Amino acid sequence: MKRADYPTALRTVIGELKRLPGIGPRSAERIALWLVQSRDARADAVARAISEVTTQVHPCERCGFFSTEPLCDICADPSRDPSVLCVVEQPTDVLPLERTGGFRGRYHTLGGRISPLDHVGPDDLRIGSLIERTREEKFSEVILALGADVEGEATANYLAEILNAMHVTVTRLAQGLPAGAGLDHADELTIQRALSGRTRIAPHSL
Amino acid sequence: MRFVLRSLKLRHFRCFEAFETEFSDGLNCIVGPNARGKTSVLEAACILLRLQSPRVSKLAPVVQHERQGFVVDGYFGQRHLQFYFSRNRKKLALDEVAQADAHEYLQVGRVVYFSNTDIELVRGSGEVRRRFLDFVAVQRDGLYRNALRAYDRALRSRNLLLKGYPVRWREVAAFEEPLLAAGRLVSEVRARLVAELQPEADAAHRVISGSREELRVEYRAGAGEDFAQALDAARGEDARLRQTTVGPHRDELAFFLNGQSTEYASEGQQRTVVLALKLGAMRLLERHFGRTPLLLLDDVFGELDVARRNALLAVLPSGAQKLVTTTHLDWMASGLEAHRIPLG
Repeated sequence: MKRADYPTALRTVIGELKRLPGIGPRSAERIALWLVQSRDARADAVARAISEVTTQVHPCERCGFFSTEPLCDICADPSRDPSVLCVVEQPTDVLPLERTGGFRGRYHTLGGRISPLDHVGPDDLRIGSLIERTREEKFSEVILALGADVEGEATANYLAEILNAMHVTVTRLAQGLPAGAGLDHADELTIQRALSGRTRIAPHSL
Repeated sequence: MRFVLRSLKLRHFRCFEAFETEFSDGLNCIVGPNARGKTSVLEAACILLRLQSPRVSKLAPVVQHERQGFVVDGYFGQRHLQFYFSRNRKKLALDEVAQADAHEYLQVGRVVYFSNTDIELVRGSGEVRRRFLDFVAVQRDGLYRNALRAYDRALRSRNLLLKGYPVRWREVAAFEEPLLAAGRLVSEVRARLVAELQPEADAAHRVISGSREELRVEYRAGAGEDFAQALDAARGEDARLRQTTVGPHRDELAFFLNGQSTEYASEGQQRTVVLALKLGAMRLLERHFGRTPLLLLDDVFGELDVARRNALLAVLPSGAQKLVTTTHLDWMASGLEAHRIPLG
């Protein structure tokens, strides 16, 4: 006797779902069964949304952020300050910066960082277009908002060297103590950086 | 509740499919014939508390043959420690709460490991001595781990770039600032630790050797006086050898008895020196945290005659918890009370 299993169509869906990040075989099975059995499932709508998102969303051709047009909302927004550029590693790094409401310039996403141990070199990143933009858009300041780990630091150093030679002011995010934490919870590397990046408390600000 | 290792459970660890045992506050003897996993039990206790093995630098070989990963699980005082390791992922839990990083977990228990291969500290390569220093330094200052890891990553990145054809120097240079920043910290912490260890090891040496010889421990920075300058000066050499030739990864420790290098000391003297170093590390941690670390003694009694075995046990603080491996117990002085854990 042949052992029964789900019909092929259902198994295909389970197989596809299993490939998604964070979804194991059990969850894949549950989702697939729900799509088939539940009245609220709206499987058509899910399928349509997925297929649309993949055809419509692509990287902004200027900055690499998510967009449905050639230029993303940020690059297309004329009220943005065109003289300041903020360089980040990933498109997902843009949103935390946006949520602060403290930055009104535009962005450039590298798509990663230089990491020899992961076989990622400068040519694998959007560094060429960054140089081009810097030349054409004549920024007064380029802010490097990269990670504070070894690779993030190295990438910042690499970019700073190139950009400084183009006579643009290069800055990087201050590094140091997390807001709301005491000195006793910080490691020496952090304290050392916080110390070297210390800021003056001017008399009038008190 | 005393701060001692109360229990230990293993799964898929070295030769053990599954194993569990409890420990007493004082002396615990793990007894059994060879190849039954006595050393593995000590190794597991060390990995449970410190997340690293005293025997190997990578944990992959600790996984039982043809298994995905191992689990070590145990109680230290009231704290419940759990660690799962496989080649693809590691999971840590402290009191059943998953830990995103190891910092708090590693504050729970501290360890000094005595082994019959300790003589390598004098005879072996510099790597052995740096590992010893770092093992103690991370326990004394938990955040030192971050500097050590950053240095390791920056160093491996720079070395990999130096092996490229042609070498892309702008990328090499980009990794030098993080290398220098982390490297300076590593040197500082190690130098400070040696300065603290020196008097403790010397005092311990006087007690166990009964001699008046002075034991001196000297730290020699592989980065020289000024790491940035040394790195700059070595650039030609680095390009030729395609690796970073200066830095804390070339740090050395040297030991002297009355000013004479221990390289030429007798085997007996060398064994006394390494024992003094371990006892010194124990005192240092004890002084710093107000309690004696867990003492793991792996087959250290093998080479010693009965009188010396008991003498060694006598220099270890009587109140400290000790896990000892031995093939038999006949030699132990009759007054000693030991909790016996038979294997095999």
